[in-house]
Amino acid sequence: MTWIIKLILFVCIVPTALIMFAIAFPSNPGKKKMIFGVRDNPKFHEGDAAKRVKEITTSCRKAALIITILVCLISVILLILPANGMTLLLWVLLIFAELILIAVPFGKGNIELKNLKKELGITKTGVVYTDLTSTNTVHSLKLPWIILPNAVALAGTIFAILTDFGVIKIVEKPACEKYALTMMSLSFLSIGIMFVPIAILMDNTRNMVISRDSNINANYNRAKKKTWADLTIAFSWVNALFLTGYSILMMFINNDAVILCGILAYTLLIMAVVVIGAVNQKAVEKRYERDTDLELQDDDDKWIFGMFYYNKNDTRLNVEKRFGYGATINIAHPAGKVITVITALLLLGSVILLIYFAATGQLNDLETGVNVPFK
Amino acid sequence: MIIRIDEYSDVPIYMQIRNQIVMGISSGELKGGEQLPTVRALALEIGINTMTVSKTYQLLKQEGYIMTDRKNGARVRENIAQSGVLSGENKTELRRIVSEARLSGVSKEELKKLIDEFY
Repeated sequence: MTWIIKLILFVCIVPTALIMFAIAFPSNPGKKKMIFGVRDNPKFHEGDAAKRVKEITTSCRKAALIITILVCLISVILLILPANGMTLLLWVLLIFAELILIAVPFGKGNIELKNLKKELGITKTGVVYTDLTSTNTVHSLKLPWIILPNAVALAGTIFAILTDFGVIKIVEKPACEKYALTMMSLSFLSIGIMFVPIAILMDNTRNMVISRDSNINANYNRAKKKTWADLTIAFSWVNALFLTGYSILMMFINNDAVILCGILAYTLLIMAVVVIGAVNQKAVEKRYERDTDLELQDDDDKWIFGMFYYNKNDTRLNVEKRFGYGATINIAHPAGKVITVITALLLLGSVILLIYFAATGQLNDLETGVNVPFK
Repeated sequence: MIIRIDEYSDVPIYMQIRNQIVMGISSGELKGGEQLPTVRALALEIGINTMTVSKTYQLLKQEGYIMTDRKNGARVRENIAQSGVLSGENKTELRRIVSEARLSGVSKEELKKLIDEFY
């Protein structure tokens, strides 16, 4: 079974590394709104400053490229190595290493550009624009549209539970292991339910002010929030339909190849939904670029390394991400502090647990099937 | 209507919001009867405490620029009471502005042009 896990990890890690490199370190940073999480400024393109910016972006991009290539090479090596507990541990450590290492050149670029801003005297912090007309009136998410797929997923989960407990009998004995249907369905259901508060939070993020015309601001924010609403709804439907279809399939077939294909199909579908969402978001940004006639607020100093938002004066919990797609939390918010600490503890704890299992040989039990639950 | 808040300004945030709403009413950007955001919504949007927005609305209500009630929230008054007299505080502030303009070498005509523009 572990060769399936290795293949899935390879398919997830390598494209992710390449996408992260392409988004965080574009080949033409001068044409982007943000460079390493620092808002672009016309003075970055003048005289000596332009040379400095080019040096910074080139050196950071080079470092990131080396890291990305190394991650891909190590992934290939791990794919070839025999499947055992140690290899699995190395995969997990590779994921964490990739995330941390790729952040280093990005953070370095962020700090150097912020220093350049200070030298050029173009730091303008603390200014916030708000459009009174569109405050709390711009929303795109229709709640029933995200509840419906989760209701379908819930129905599928109840069906799976009743099947596992023998209340419903589609086949004499399901091909999959006992309670596997229930466990799988509950996993997918919990992912779908998790997206409901995320969708609501995204729909209630601060409206960006890009123009002195309130209609332009309203249309821009509505269009942006629609891409997020469409993403979460599409994700919920993929989740619900996959749960239902896969449950039915698992009743008749219990085959490693089928399981692999199923998980790969799910992963690819989710990635496709995210990519479409990001493309739509980019289209909205491009469409409204020409309507931007307001100096956008400069809050670069509130973003640590351009990635983590820390603003004690901001009472919001979630804010739009600096780069990429989606939102992130305000670490200075009391709830933000709790979420950050819990997340860090969970990540650290999972790594420590894995190292412990590897050291005590328990990870190898997965390969031999010893102590595997529900067998 | 766009309002601009400077977190590092010497002017308190509630005064900044109050001043800009008054300017908006005067310029016609905020019309009589127009709904203003709720305290909670505006606080969330700007990212400040609800008490700050509440203080602003209380001040605007006291000064007769807006009216508030539980059902309809805050609205710009249709008919703002006109005393026809500049308050003592505003007179002092105007005196300060005129003094600074004079010291900066701004002529009376230029100042009058600006007043015409803003009026």
